[in-house]
Amino acid sequence: MHALLQLGQTLFAAANSGPVEGASFLGLAVYFGLLLAILAGLMAYAKRGFGVQVFKNPITVLFEHLYLFIENMCVGSIGPNGRKYIPYIMTLWMVIFLSNVMALFFPEAPTADLNFNLGLAVMTILYVQIEGIRTNGFFGHLKHFAGPKLGIWMIPISGMIFCIEIISELMKNLSLSLRLYGNIHGGHMAVESMNALGTSIYIPIGAFLMPLKVLTCVVQALIFTLLTCVYLSLVTHHDVEDHAEAASSVAHAH
Amino acid sequence: MAFGGIILMVLGTYGSVNWHFSFIESLNKMGLPIEPGKTVATIGVMLILLPVLRYFFIGPLQEVIDHRNHELESTFAEAENLRGEMKKMRSDFEARLAETEATAREQIQNQIREAQNLRQQLMNEAAERADTMVRQAQMEIEQEKLNALMVIRSHVVDLTLAAAEKVIGENMDTDKNRRLINEYIETLEVSA
Repeated sequence: MHALLQLGQTLFAAANSGPVEGASFLGLAVYFGLLLAILAGLMAYAKRGFGVQVFKNPITVLFEHLYLFIENMCVGSIGPNGRKYIPYIMTLWMVIFLSNVMALFFPEAPTADLNFNLGLAVMTILYVQIEGIRTNGFFGHLKHFAGPKLGIWMIPISGMIFCIEIISELMKNLSLSLRLYGNIHGGHMAVESMNALGTSIYIPIGAFLMPLKVLTCVVQALIFTLLTCVYLSLVTHHDVEDHAEAASSVAHAH
Repeated sequence: MAFGGIILMVLGTYGSVNWHFSFIESLNKMGLPIEPGKTVATIGVMLILLPVLRYFFIGPLQEVIDHRNHELESTFAEAENLRGEMKKMRSDFEARLAETEATAREQIQNQIREAQNLRQQLMNEAAERADTMVRQAQMEIEQEKLNALMVIRSHVVDLTLAAAEKVIGENMDTDKNRRLINEYIETLEVSA
């Protein structure tokens, strides 16, 4: 108990004197907790409308549309086996979108914090690697980084491709997280700057950016999840192609 | 997974207070606000959140939508089957109707043919019976005519004898006279 109190005091102290830009750990925890509470409330309300064949509850209908949208995206970009990734992609979409929407009303939001986005990106890239290993096997997945078979005299080229691919995989973490952070945090900064411009005439000029920010909420959630689908498709499509090739060869043999 | 998430969450909380890396601090000074504790804790929370959402919300939603889609597909398939069956029944019915019409037409033709035969037969029988009756009537007339002639002839003989008796004043009714008169009348009939 004493240790917990001490931890709390330390976190509060860090929150008050944070040298780093953005919300403190405690701030992020509060906003993330708020996001989860809103999400839980929405889902609890939506779940009440599950009993009927055709949903009438408007929130349930919204979640149904979201589910169908995610399903189309997964199946469209990954293939028929993309349906198994729907829970992961949908969770990501809901967390990112809701956090982006929170950024419209609050001075901070989880996705306006680079570390939160980096957490999502690292988890996603790890998940992609795990799925790649599960689909192609450990060595098959590593071989995938070396590019196409070039022959024994081209091993140095394959080695270079392997290194570039590994760096590319690592950079995916940064690209995913920085893009989201830049858009949401940048939106905040732009609104603050434009509001500062209109202070002398008492007009919140930054409010005119609201439609653009609303669009950003959807687009950034879409980009993050769509890229996740693309990464999953890149590491799992060999399996589908092999099956398709096998099926076509069997068909030709017949 | 959720247990790993709890560990990462605690580790991230601990790290946010106690982890101080010079590399990270230099990044912070460059304007990249990186705090590994937050990142680790975020991964931890997401690792807890993923199975929780999957179990309590996304799974049931998926199940409801899949169930509905399945029911819709089965309803459509059933409707398609019923449509096929209906088409088959319709063609069967039309074939049966055509067959029945053909049978009925044939039966009607047979009945008409039978009726015509019967009519012809009845007409033939009636004509034959009429001819028989006419022939019989003619025979009867002929017979009656002969009878009448016999009676007239007998009367003529009687009258002739009576007249001759009156002329000569004696009885002439003998078999010889009667035969002579009859022969004379017969010659008259032949000449007539």
